[in-house]
Parts: sequence; structure tokens; C-alpha cells
Amino acid sequence: MSVNNSFQKIITSLQSFWIDQGCVLLQPYDLEVGAGTFHPATVLRVLGPDPIWKAAYVQPCRRPTDGRYGENPNRLQHYYQFQVIIQPSPEDIQNLYLESLKFIGLNPKDHDIRFVEDDWESPTLGASGLGWEIWCDGMEISQFTYFQQVGGIEVKPVASEITYGLERLAMFIQKIENVYDLDWDGIDKKKGGKTYGDIFSQQEKEFSEYNFEKSQTSFLFKQFNDAETECKNLLDDKKNFLALPAYHQCIKASHIFNLLDARGVISVSERQSYILRVRNMARSSCLAWMGKLNE
Amino acid sequence: MNNMEKNRGNLLLEFFSEEIPARMQSNSEIQLQNLFVKSLTQRDIAFESFKTFSGPRHLSIIIKNIELEQKDLEIEKRGPRFDANQKAIDGFLKSNQLKKNEIIIKETNNGKFYFHSQMIKGKKTYEVLPDIINEIVNSFVWPKSQRWANTDLKWARPLRNIVLLLNNDVVKGKVEIGKNVFLNFTNFTFSHRYFDKKIVINKIENYEQLLEENFVILDRNKRLDKIINDTSSLLDKRKFKLVNDKFLIEEVVGLVEYPNILIGSISKEFMKLPREVLSTAMRVHQKYFSITDKENNLESKFLFVANSIKEKDRDFRVIEGNERVLKARLSDASYFFENDITNTFENWNEKLKNVLFYESLGSIHDKIIRMSNISKIFAKMFGVRLDLAKQAAILSKADLVSEMVTEFPELQGIMGGYYAKIKNEHEEVVKAISEHYKPKGVSDDLPETKLGSLLSIVDKIDTLVGFFSIDKKPTGSKDPFALRRNSFSIVQILINFKINLSLNELLEPSLKEYGCSSHSIKQNLIDFMIDKLKYVFSNKNNRMDVVNSVLNTKIVNDLPIKIISSRIDSISKFTKINDFKIFLANHKRINNILKSEKFSNDAELQINPKVFDTIEEENIYNLSNSFSKEIIKKSICEKSQDFLINYLIKMNEPISLFFDNVIVNHNDYDIKINRLNLLKNLHNSISKFSIFELIED
Repeated sequence: MSVNNSFQKIITSLQSFWIDQGCVLLQPYDLEVGAGTFHPATVLRVLGPDPIWKAAYVQPCRRPTDGRYGENPNRLQHYYQFQVIIQPSPEDIQNLYLESLKFIGLNPKDHDIRFVEDDWESPTLGASGLGWEIWCDGMEISQFTYFQQVGGIEVKPVASEITYGLERLAMFIQKIENVYDLDWDGIDKKKGGKTYGDIFSQQEKEFSEYNFEKSQTSFLFKQFNDAETECKNLLDDKKNFLALPAYHQCIKASHIFNLLDARGVISVSERQSYILRVRNMARSSCLAWMGKLNE
Repeated sequence: MNNMEKNRGNLLLEFFSEEIPARMQSNSEIQLQNLFVKSLTQRDIAFESFKTFSGPRHLSIIIKNIELEQKDLEIEKRGPRFDANQKAIDGFLKSNQLKKNEIIIKETNNGKFYFHSQMIKGKKTYEVLPDIINEIVNSFVWPKSQRWANTDLKWARPLRNIVLLLNNDVVKGKVEIGKNVFLNFTNFTFSHRYFDKKIVINKIENYEQLLEENFVILDRNKRLDKIINDTSSLLDKRKFKLVNDKFLIEEVVGLVEYPNILIGSISKEFMKLPREVLSTAMRVHQKYFSITDKENNLESKFLFVANSIKEKDRDFRVIEGNERVLKARLSDASYFFENDITNTFENWNEKLKNVLFYESLGSIHDKIIRMSNISKIFAKMFGVRLDLAKQAAILSKADLVSEMVTEFPELQGIMGGYYAKIKNEHEEVVKAISEHYKPKGVSDDLPETKLGSLLSIVDKIDTLVGFFSIDKKPTGSKDPFALRRNSFSIVQILINFKINLSLNELLEPSLKEYGCSSHSIKQNLIDFMIDKLKYVFSNKNNRMDVVNSVLNTKIVNDLPIKIISSRIDSISKFTKINDFKIFLANHKRINNILKSEKFSNDAELQINPKVFDTIEEENIYNLSNSFSKEIIKKSICEKSQDFLINYLIKMNEPISLFFDNVIVNHNDYDIKINRLNLLKNLHNSISKFSIFELIED
């Protein structure tokens, strides 16, 4: 039954599962991000103001250095995450997660599921948490984190984040060895059905070339500085600051930093200072969001 | 039933949590037992024995024959003397809120005093247990811990349930894990995730078995045994061997509640990858074990431990899944390998210019230049070709920027060796690069070749001297750059290869490379190294006092390491010989006389032979002079150490005669000083060899 385990079916199944758990179903954030965590629905929302926050969304992610010109069966510079953020972390969150796997046709009882220590840290977001990577028959299919800190600020109550690596998960479910062979829509090829490769291989090729060879680093350096200045300006007026647009600039800067990194133009000694600059933007935006910028 | 048994019972405490990291489990067992025993001892509650268990989710302790009641406690408070004035007595009564009839007079060693004694009735154990458990929970320290939901408590992962049974009954109580958030003590726990069953524990003695029936083996040693036994029964019949990996097996024990050994296959196409690449890709990311045949050749198979109950269909699926994952990993590795072998060392070294070694210590490229300069100086001493020494240093760090090492940092050095071989470098250079990170710890193997040892030492000296030169030496328990381990490695190689270099000679070229002329930095380095020398020598079954006697000599930093080594050997050998013991006794006597005269400087003292009025003085004078000459001549000859000690022994008689017939403390001040100076000079020249007074009888 190929229809039931297509890439898009996995997404819609996860969506309906988490809607049933009371999550707000959101759409991807409309900027390039390195991970689903960057979405304001995670970074800012876990800092308040609602003590209860449940959201689920798909987020396209970009990691320019992972580009392989569409030639590596496992690595992509653009891929999808399915992100679930629930605050406070529910008592049965692990079981909910295992239930969700059943829902997409992966019965944990038929496999070897393992929760293997993997603590998460995002230096650019000043965020960290403890958790696991979840293995299914040796394959890492999800990341599970109890958020302890975001923007250097304690997350209270603690939120639980589940990130499904959709391509990996789908490859596992479809028993496929090459990501580009993934069945996207469950429709027969002859009837116009599409694979992951039909949709994305050209994009991977072109963006790999862009990321590694063609991007104008002088533009990028300028864009980074502009984003940083804009972010500062938006938070400058202590009475009338704009937290969300400021954070938007932070996300931009973070991606531009990744592009610069892919071009290999940031030396080891500079690297740390760029990370610190993004982190400062993230922290100020988070404080602004909490109304604590003046404190 | 005797009285003791009637007042005692068994206790079970279980912390049930989400999956605790494997590396923390063993220690958590020890901590649990220590904290529990401490809490019980403080409250004077005795018990007979305990047993602890730990796994991914269950951490528990059974305490056998624990007292069900605290002993009554008599507290006695001493008041004023019996004959003290009324004011003092009233004060004692008032401050303790006592009535007159509640105090008594008692005789003590110091006289009669007023006393108040009070009996505190022992509580029932079940009454104090909630306090104890709260105490344990709050004092528990995890290497890394977290909050969850609304808790303030930190635990390695969320703590979900606490079983507390005393004599098979649930103890009433709870643990506060956050503001108004509690965990009540229960009598149930949970099975393996496959069944996700709640299990009620009716009898503590059935606890372990009950869980095993539900596919949780609580005892980590039992899990380990099961893994080992099942593995050998699987492998033996196929004539395979498991590559022994203590760390991995210990980790795997902490990842499974019910181990299920499975074997998968590796596609043949990957078997051409270097062996270390295969085993690292398997071990680090996937926690798979490598398998070899009886001749130690890697088989195209891997073994892993699933957390499941044997079932044919499922096992088949699980193996298939794991094979797919490994295939993806290995295609990545092949891709890196193919890319790397088309790259060049020149290109990599160019990249090293952008890789920081450490702030203000330059790039890795700067490091290899320094290393190659030092290698040239030491090459002859290590008996290796100068050009090879230089080449090995220059190529040694290139692999750090190769794709394979970027992905698998633990393959540093090893990949460099493979790539150097592919580029047709000299075989000594190849071997040296691949083994220059050795030894990685006190128990690791040393490099096998001379060039490998040289490269290893030069690399480590550069690191050590560099960090000392920017004042980043280890302090207390902090040693972020692993400089202690680093210098242990240097010392091990020096001793093992009997290197004819002194600490001064060893450090000087590197200090020069860093342009460091500070005397105090050099002294710190030397002290640091001497400390490690002492440790390594004493670990080689040498007596600590003998080691100290040689390493505490003033000129030790100018003494070649191989001389230090052979001197320690010689002295150790002689300590068993009677004549030498006599020498030591004589020497100690000289030392005591000088100590009481408080001679402070070691300068050569003027002795006037004309003041001598005994033949014994003259003898000592001549002996002292000739030993001084001998030690200058022979001190750095490896084979002369025995000779020098024999020379000392020859002094036994003259020294004895001196003590028998000469009074040091002579009435004539000049004679006295002359005699003391005589002894002092003798002592000084002997102390260039060894500080013999440090050697215990």
C-alpha cells in the first residue's frame, strides 16, 4: 500500500495526530532557517506569555555546508523537519511520541526503538536542552529535547520538543536507500506521480553550486551587518521596541552566517565572534519578547 | 522468630525515570547506596545488607533486614557544677526550660555536675523514610541533569515514579519535585516498553524475577553476562571472534533492558575501506561490534545488541534496518575516502594555516613548523634519519582537515598514515604519522618505532611548552588541555626508549621556538615533568623513596633521562645489600650532624688541610675529592652507576673510623669548623648523585 506511506501522507498523518493532541497547527516560518527550532513558535513562545503552548508544524531547513550537488543519497542542503513543541512537557510525552509513530505506519512493537543520550545545544540561539536521539533499528529518526534554556534564559515551565527528520523517517518507512527515490505522493509514476528527486534534485544541484561557489561573499558580509544593525535599531527604543521583527533579523543573520561558512571565508578565530553576534541578537529579541529588555 | 527478626524487615526503593544516559548508570547505583546508607546511619537505623540495580529506566536498591524502629536515644546535657551559685543553676534551668526536679547531680572525672537527661523515643522507620527519600533525591548529583514540566528538581531525565516498600507495604509519603508538584510513593513499576505494562510488586523478594518475566533485567551484571554468553554461543559455532571493546559493551549494557544479540552483514564493496574506518563507523555512531575470524581478519559482519525480545520476524526486520543504516554510513565513509585520496598533503597543509591551534599559539601549520624544527634537533638522539624526522612532522597534522577525520575525529593520525602510504611516503614516516598520538593514556601502548616516538614526543612537548608559555598550566583538578596526560606520555616514551636527553635539553628547543626566555616558566615546566617522572618511575615497581632520592637532586634537570633511570635501578638493586645499608647509616649520621649545625648553603667550603690532626680527616678529605672527580667523569655514563655506588661503599670504613676516632665538636673553633666543612663537602658531592638521606631503612 504505497499510498499510505508517501512523504506527503506522513506529513498529513503527523499533522492530524498532533492536532488531536491539542496542538496548534502552524505553517513553516517564511525565512531560511537551520532547524525547526528557529521558528518563533518555538524560540519565543516557550518564553511566554502563555504557560501552556502546544504547536506542530513542518519547517523546511537549510544547511548550506551539507549540500552535495544532489549526488549523495543521504545529504541535503535543504530538507524538512516536523516539529512539535509542547509546554509544559507532558508526563506521557514519550508514549505520545511512540503513538505518533504507529500513526504513520511504524509500529514500535515491530522494531528496536532506543532512546540514546543526545544533549542539544544551539550556540547561536543561546539555547540548550537534554534529551535523546531516537533510534529505530539503528536509524536516528527523531530528536527529543527538554528545553532548559533559550536565549540564555531559563525555560519555565520546561517544554518538550520533538523533531522528526522527515526524509530519514520516510526513507525508513519506505525502505529506500536513496533520498531522491522517496515516493512523494503515492501516485504511480506513469500517472504523473512524483519522487523526492523529481521535485528537489535540480534544487540541490543549483543551491550546492550557489552555496559553495557562486554566492557573493561581499554581499553576504554586508547583509549580515545590515541585519544586525536592523535588529539593534528595532530594539533600541526601550519604550517602543519590536521583538518579532528584531528576531526576524536574527534568523536572517544566522542563515547568512551559514552561507558565509559554506564559502569557507570565516576563519576559526572569527567564527566564535560571529556566533556570539547572532547569539546577542537572539538574546535581546527574547528579552524584548518577554518585556524584560529594560531589566 | 527471634527478637532481631521481628523488629526487622526488607525495603525496596525504585526510581523509575525516562531513559538515563548509559554512561551515568553505574555511578548512580553507587551514589544511591552511599546516600541511603548515610541517611540510615545518621538516624541510627541498622540494616544487614543491600543490593542495587541500574538500567535505562530503573534505578533501585533493596535493603535487607532493616530495623523497623529507631533506637531510643538518650541525650544528656551537662549543667553547672553541683556547688555553683543559684544564679547559674537557675540560668541552666531557664535556658533549657526545665523544672528543678528534672535535673540530677552526677559524678564525673572533673567532679560533680548537674545533669539533665532526656530520652528521645525512636521513631518507626516508615515514619522517617519519607524524609530520607527526600534527602536522597535532593542530594543526588548527576553529571548532567534537567528540570521538566513544572519541577524544580533536577534529575538526569524526568523521574516518573518512586516505589517505596517496607515489608511489602507501600510507605505512605511523597517527594516534592516542584512547587506543589509531588510524586507519591507507589508499589508499582513498569515493564519493557514492548508491553508497557504496569506491574504491581507484592513481594520484595520477587521484585527482580517479576521484572525479568516482564523483560527487564534489572541487574547490569546479569545483562552483561547475557550479552557475553549469547554472543559467544552465536559466534563460536561460526568460528568467529568478537573484537573486544570494554567501553562499548559497558555502554550497551546501559542501553538495553533486555539484550537481544543480532548479527548483520556488511556489503562486500566496503570491505576495502581501512579497517579502522569500518570499526569506527560501526562503533562510534552505531554502537556495533566488529567481528573477526580466528586469524583476526575482519569479517564482513557486525554484531549489535537490540533492546528486544527474540522473535524471528522482528529480528529479521531489525537486522535489515540496521544493515541499511550501516550501508548509508559506509557509503559516506567511502565517499570521504575517495575524495581524500585525490587530495594532497600540500593542499591540506595550506588549509592548516587557517586552523587555530590555540589563541596566541598560532595555527596548526605553525605547530608543524615548530615540530619539524625540534625534530631535526632530536633526530640523532632518537637514531632516526634527519630528513625523515622533518618530513614526518610536516605531514603529521594534514589529516585533521581531511574529510574522513572531519567526520571521524578519532581517526586522526591513523588516516594520515593511510594517506601517506598511498602517496608513497617512506614507510617509517607512514608508521610514525599513524602512531604519533600514542600513548593516549597511562595504560595505552607506546609508539612502536623510533620515529613514531620522536614525533609523539615532539608534538606533545610543543603543546605542553606552548600552554605553559601562555600561563595555561593545569591548576587543581582543572586540566582542560590534558597537559598532565600529555606529559605522562612524554615521560613514558623517554623512559622506555632510554633517551639520552635531559629535561633541559628536551625543553630548551621548544622554548626557543616559542621565543620564551622566562626562567620561571622553564622552572615550572621542569617541576611539572619531574613530578610525572616520579609518578611513572614509582609505578614501575620502584620504591618511592629511591625515586625521590634521585629526582630530588639539584642537577636532575641536566641529567639524561636514561641516566636517571639506570641510577634508580642501581640504587634499588643496592638497597638489598648490607654494605650499602652501612653506607646509608653513615650518610645519615653525617646528615644529622650537618642538620644540627644548620648549614644552609651548598657552596664549596674552604677546607684547610693544615688544620687536620688525624689521618681519618685526611682520608675523608681525599675520598671526598676523588668522589667529586669520579662523579664529574662518570655520572652520565649509563654503565657507571653501579661503579659509583661501589665507590661510595668503599668509604664505609674510613667514615666509620672517622666517627670512631675524631670528635667533630672540637673545643678549638677552627678545628671544629674545618671538620664540619669537611663533612659538608663530602655530603655535597654525594648529593650530586642522590639525596641518600631520603632513603628509608
